[in-house]
Amino acid sequence: MLPIVIVSLLLSVTSAFAETPKRIISLAPNVTEILFALGLDNSVVGVTSFCDYPERAKDKPKVGGMSNPSLERVVSLKPDIVIMTTDGNPKVFAERLQSFRIQTYVFGARTLSELPQGIRALGLALGMREKADLLAREIESSLNNLSRSSFHASRKEKVLFIIWPEPLIVAGPGTAIDDAIGILGHHNIAAKSRSSYPKYSIEETILQSPDIIFIGKGHADIRDLSKGLLKKLSWVPAVKNHRVFFVSDNLYRLGPRVIYGIEEMAACLK
Amino acid sequence: MSKIKLAALFCAALFVMLLSLFLGSHVINPFQASDVEREILISIRLPRVIVAVLMGMALGASGAVLQGILKNPLADPYILGISSGAALSATLGLLSGVYIFGKFSIPLTAFIGASFISIVVGFFGWKEGKLLPERLLLAGVGLSFLLYAMLMFLISISSHEGIRRAVLWIFGDLSIADWSMIPYGIVFIIAGLYISVSRAKALNALMLGDEIAHSLGFAVHKERLLFFLSISLMTSASVSLGGTIGFIGLLIPHMVRFIMGADNRFVVPLSALYGGVFLCIADLIGRSLLPPMEIPSGIITALVGSPYFLYLLRKRDVLTA
Repeated sequence: MLPIVIVSLLLSVTSAFAETPKRIISLAPNVTEILFALGLDNSVVGVTSFCDYPERAKDKPKVGGMSNPSLERVVSLKPDIVIMTTDGNPKVFAERLQSFRIQTYVFGARTLSELPQGIRALGLALGMREKADLLAREIESSLNNLSRSSFHASRKEKVLFIIWPEPLIVAGPGTAIDDAIGILGHHNIAAKSRSSYPKYSIEETILQSPDIIFIGKGHADIRDLSKGLLKKLSWVPAVKNHRVFFVSDNLYRLGPRVIYGIEEMAACLK
Repeated sequence: MSKIKLAALFCAALFVMLLSLFLGSHVINPFQASDVEREILISIRLPRVIVAVLMGMALGASGAVLQGILKNPLADPYILGISSGAALSATLGLLSGVYIFGKFSIPLTAFIGASFISIVVGFFGWKEGKLLPERLLLAGVGLSFLLYAMLMFLISISSHEGIRRAVLWIFGDLSIADWSMIPYGIVFIIAGLYISVSRAKALNALMLGDEIAHSLGFAVHKERLLFFLSISLMTSASVSLGGTIGFIGLLIPHMVRFIMGADNRFVVPLSALYGGVFLCIADLIGRSLLPPMEIPSGIITALVGSPYFLYLLRKRDVLTA
């Protein structure tokens, strides 16, 4: 019941801006990336400590983490609008902000297919309809091209995308990575897990024998860290046939960079 | 305690350990195993079961010994702050990206943290050439709070992706079990077990009080120091193998006492044996319940163990046990 009330509360205050707000705070790294891609560099006055892309985002004032942003910090930055996501920001935070008469907007897209529409809606709310539409269309056409070229993929292969090798954490359902694997015409073996980033069983990985393994690059030296796991998986076709690929973290966030992430994966599979 | 009963208990334990090797989300018939299944058995399940047994043994035995030397039924190996020390240093290691020792980095940083905190607790518990139980206990509790607060501080301010890994590790994670870690684990845990089991008589005497133990011919303070050393060795090794797993150190020794009586010559080795069995079962449940996902064993030990413990508590009177 409560979430519904909050959502309707949110909807009631997210009327479109007539002109672009001058002071924007982003409470999620993917939103920050979208705002920068829309050319709002100078309007963004606050970001989370996770917002590290593009490089210029690091210089923006930090308002705390995604799950624990500082209310005081946000209020003191006098934002015209605070942009949140349904994925990682606490709902009560929006309520607190409203009690300070600070306008909020919730970025609702959670999957790759929802991203262009999400960007359009955000653009509408920020009074940047045309620019947002352009970005959305760019993403849509790239997605279409990618799925069209993979339509002729010789066969559907089994893929596993590893986020962290020890303990084994992989990309499950409801992630941009899972969508990307589908767009490339393949099957994510972790698609039936109960959570988006499940702690995955190594045994199960061997039994499901993925043909292709992607390992996302984190900050740490992931190649060294993966050695132990890959040794345990030496029986898996992907490892036997040298089809283990290290890819960037472009797909970790639902923002404009996902296209590069999918292109990178497609390039590995060529 | 008859020899037959002991032998039966030992065989039952061995049987459960073997069973947990072949059971799981995918049951493997050892006589008709395919190549892939054989690979799973040897390079994934076997090291995992061995690590579970080693950790469980270390925690069970440490708990039994610690409850003896502190004469406190609430004592568990983590109360001395050893696990918090290990968790803090391993988390620091994960966050700072210290990978100079490759896959040994986390176990090693955990072991260093655990050993360092053991020494600090020992230092605070030490007065006038004696290791005093009350001081040891309070120093452990005090340090635990400090270390735990520091850990939470790190977790709350950090945006590093290693944090999730650290949190999983703190819950206890046996999925990283690997053959290469086992020899070190065996050396430390067997050394600790040997000290504890071989001095079980002294532990019996210590539980009667320092004066009586002294009049029975035991060098009270030397014995206590040796026991403390053995606990530190076992707990540090255990934490570094697979994180902090609760319940076993506190409750397995009590369960053994409910069933076997309070003679430490049996309580210490049986707490070790059944600590191992119990962690094996917990890990089996953790990896079979929601495949392909895994549930950290530390959660299962408490979920499964605590109700059984409470049942035993109602059925048998602990205070007279």
